[in-house]
Amino acid sequence: MRAGAGRVPGSPGRRAGRRRALALALLALATCAAPARPPGKPPATTAATADTTATTGTAPTVDAKDTVDAQDTVDITPGTCGTGWQHPRPGPQRFALRNGAAVPVDARLTDPRTGAVYGEVEGVAPGTTRPLRVRLGAGSYAFACLPEDGDAVTGPVVRLGGHAAPGPAARPVTRAELIPATLDYQRWTARQLAGLARATAALRTAIDHGDRAAARRAWLTAHLGYARLGGAYGAFGAAGRAVDGTTAGLPGGVHDPRFTGFHRLEYGLWHGEDGPALRRCAARLDADVRALGRTWDQTRPAPEALVRRVQEIPEDTLHLELAGRTDYGSGTGRATAGAQLDATERVLEPLVPLLRTRYPGLAELRRRLARTRRDLEHAQHRRLDADFGDLVERLAEVAAVCAVRRAA
Amino acid sequence: MSPVPRRGFLHGVAAAALPAALPDPVPAPLPAPLAGRPPGPPPFHGRHQAAVLTPPARCTAFTALDVTAGNRAELAELLRTLTERARLLTAGRAPDPAGITAPPADSGLLGPDLAPRTPVSLTLSLGASLFDHRFGLAARAPRRLRAMPVFPDDDLDPAWCHGDLGLQLCADSPDIVLHALRDLTRHTRGAMQIRWRLDGFTAPPRPSGTPRNLFGFKDGIANPEVRDARLMDRLVWAGPHSGEPAWADGGSYLVVRLIRMRLEFWDRIPLAEQERILGRQRDSGAPLDGDREDDPPHYARDPKGEVIALDSHIRLANPRTPAGGDQRLLRRSYNYDRGVDAAGELDAGMLFCCYQQDPERQFAAVQRRLAGEPLTDYITPFGGGYFFALPGVRDGADWFGRGLVHPT
Repeated sequence: MRAGAGRVPGSPGRRAGRRRALALALLALATCAAPARPPGKPPATTAATADTTATTGTAPTVDAKDTVDAQDTVDITPGTCGTGWQHPRPGPQRFALRNGAAVPVDARLTDPRTGAVYGEVEGVAPGTTRPLRVRLGAGSYAFACLPEDGDAVTGPVVRLGGHAAPGPAARPVTRAELIPATLDYQRWTARQLAGLARATAALRTAIDHGDRAAARRAWLTAHLGYARLGGAYGAFGAAGRAVDGTTAGLPGGVHDPRFTGFHRLEYGLWHGEDGPALRRCAARLDADVRALGRTWDQTRPAPEALVRRVQEIPEDTLHLELAGRTDYGSGTGRATAGAQLDATERVLEPLVPLLRTRYPGLAELRRRLARTRRDLEHAQHRRLDADFGDLVERLAEVAAVCAVRRAA
Repeated sequence: MSPVPRRGFLHGVAAAALPAALPDPVPAPLPAPLAGRPPGPPPFHGRHQAAVLTPPARCTAFTALDVTAGNRAELAELLRTLTERARLLTAGRAPDPAGITAPPADSGLLGPDLAPRTPVSLTLSLGASLFDHRFGLAARAPRRLRAMPVFPDDDLDPAWCHGDLGLQLCADSPDIVLHALRDLTRHTRGAMQIRWRLDGFTAPPRPSGTPRNLFGFKDGIANPEVRDARLMDRLVWAGPHSGEPAWADGGSYLVVRLIRMRLEFWDRIPLAEQERILGRQRDSGAPLDGDREDDPPHYARDPKGEVIALDSHIRLANPRTPAGGDQRLLRRSYNYDRGVDAAGELDAGMLFCCYQQDPERQFAAVQRRLAGEPLTDYITPFGGGYFFALPGVRDGADWFGRGLVHPT
C-alpha cells in the first residue's frame, strides 16, 4: 500500500487494498476532478489577514548541526490554516499539524509561487495532530489545508533566506492531467485484447488437433500477449485470475477444478496431458479471454490504478516470474518477464510528459530500462534480478510523484 | 554495537595459536575493560574499519553479495553509496524526508528518529571474484586473496559460498541489523545482489566467563590482545608491511565459515566423550588438566594424551609450540539458528569469522591440522568465503575502496 495515494472525490475507497482491478474501477472520467488551479497561480483564499513574512538569516549553525529540535505546532483547521509556525528556519524539521475542524483535512507544505509540494499529510482526523517531516531551505513556503469535500485554503507565506537547499518537491498531479494517459491505455488495451482473443483461439485449435508442438508454440504466443497487457498484480480481477491464475489458494493444487487458464494449459502441455480435460480448459480460456475483452470495452480504468500499474507490473515480475513461482513446466519465465517489461514501458510512456518537470531521474530510468532489455537476452539471473530490483525502486518514485492528488 | 558486556571475549593476551573452527578457550588473565572510550558506536572514520577489533555484538548479519554494476565507474558509484549510507547509519542519523516525490525515505523499523541508541557497525570486504575481468582490477588484487578452498571435512554448497563483496552488520538487536540491511540494499539496488546471508547471535556468559557455543561449551576466549598495536600489525593488519599493495594498507583478511553443528547427535553422546573430543570440561571451561577456564593446559606433562587426548580439538588447534605464534588469528564468531532441515533436525551452528594478515599462514594452517579430528563427526562446514576487509574510510571525503578503484 502506497502512502502517497491521493484521495479523489468519488474514488472507491481511498485506502483500499492495492489488488484492485482496473476493470472494476467503473469510473466515469467526466465526473472527476475538483476544479484545478493552474500551477503557479497564487491561491485565492488566505487564512491570515496578511502574509506573514518571516525572513530568517542563513542560520548556518542550525543547518550544520542538522538536528530536528523544537517543533512548531501548526494549525491546519481551514479557517486558521498555517498559523502557529513560530520558528521558521532552514534544515530538517518536524511540524505537528493540528486539525481543529469537524472534518478530516489534508495538509500540504507548498511553494506558493510554483505550487510544488514539499510534504503532505492526508486525512488528518478532527481533533488530532499528525507529524510532518520536511527539510527546508531558502525559498517561500505556505501550508495548504484541504478539508474533506471543501475548498482548499492556503495559509500565510513564510520566506526563508540563505543558501540552504530545501528537500525535494513536486507539483501534484491531478486527475485531469492523467485522463489522456488513461484513455490512451484503455484504447491500447482494447486493441491488444482483440489480438489476444485471436491467439487464444489459435491455441484452442492447436490443442483440439492434438498437435503438442504447435500447441506449445501457440501457448507461448498467447501467454506473452497476455503478459504484454500488464495484467500483473490482479489488474483484471476475477477475470484475470481465470485467465492467468496460479494454484495459489486452491486446495487441490494443479488438480483443482478451479485451476484454469494459461498456467493450467501450461501444466498439461508440459506434462504429457492430451485428454478431453485439456481441451475443455482451452475452450474455457478462449471464452474467458473473449469475455474479458467485452468487459473491458464497458469499463473505464481509474487513473490512480494506471499510475500504480507502472510499478506493480515489474513488482510482479520480481516476485513471481524471476522467483520461478509461476512456472508450470514451460520454463518461459524470462520471456514473460520481457513481455511484462514491454507492458511497463507502455504504461510509462503516456506519463512521460508529466514526469519531465517532476522527476529528475527520467533519463536514467530510460537507460536502465534499455539495460534490462539487453540483459533479458543473455545475462545471468542475478544480474537480471538486480535490473528489475533497480527498476522497481525508480518506478516506485514515478508512482509516488504521479499519484493522483487534489488540486489546491 | 555495545562493547561493554562482551569484554570477556578479549581474553588471551599470551595465547598462542588459535583454533580454526570450534572452542579453544585458551587460558589468560581477565583483562581490564577497554579504557578511554565512551560507550556507543565506534567512530566510523579511521585507518581501519571499526568493527574488526571491537568484540562481537549481540546480533549480526553476514551477507555475501555479487556486484552487478556494469563497469568500474558503476562499481565506484556503488562503493561511494555504501560509504555514504554507512556514515549515516553508524551515526544513527535519519535520512531526509522525500516528500511526495518518493516512498518514505526510511523503513521506520527503528521509529521516527534514529538515534545513537540504535547504533550499527558495518564491515565491508571484497571477495576474490571481484578481481576477475569485469572491472580491470586483477593486477591490483590483495596478494593473498583466493577463493576459499575446499578442506577435507567440508561439504560445501555452492549457493552458500564466496561472493564479490562481504557485508557484515553488527548491532545489539536484530531489528537494527535488518534496518541497516534494508537501507543499504535499497540504495544500491541494481549494482549488487545478495548471494547468501546468514544471521548470527552471541550469548551472554552462562553463568560467567566466556560465552558458550551451541554445544554448551565455552568458546572463544583465546584471542590475541587487540590493544597491543604491534601484535595487531603482526597478526591482523595487512598492508605494504606484509607485502600488500598501498591501497590495501589497514585492511585485513576475513575468513568466514558456515558450520552446521549436529546438535541432536551431540546431545546423545556421553559428557565424558564430549569433553574428550574438545579437551575441556563443559561446566567450567577448564582444560581437562586444570580447574579454571583460564588455566593453561600442560601438554608437555601429558605426552601420550592420557588426560587431554592428542586428537582433542584444543590440542590440535593449538599445540602451544613456539612455532605457532604467527598462526594466531582474531576470532569474531557467532552462533546461528535457522530453523530445521529436511529431516526435521535443528539447523543451527556457527557463523565463524576470523581476521588475519595471511589466510594461508593462519586460518588454513590451523584448519589443516584439524583435518579428521573426532569433532568432525558433529560439525559440517557448508559454506563461507575468503574476503579482504577494506581499509577504513579515513575522513568525510574518503570512501570504501577509493584507492583501489580510483587511484589518485
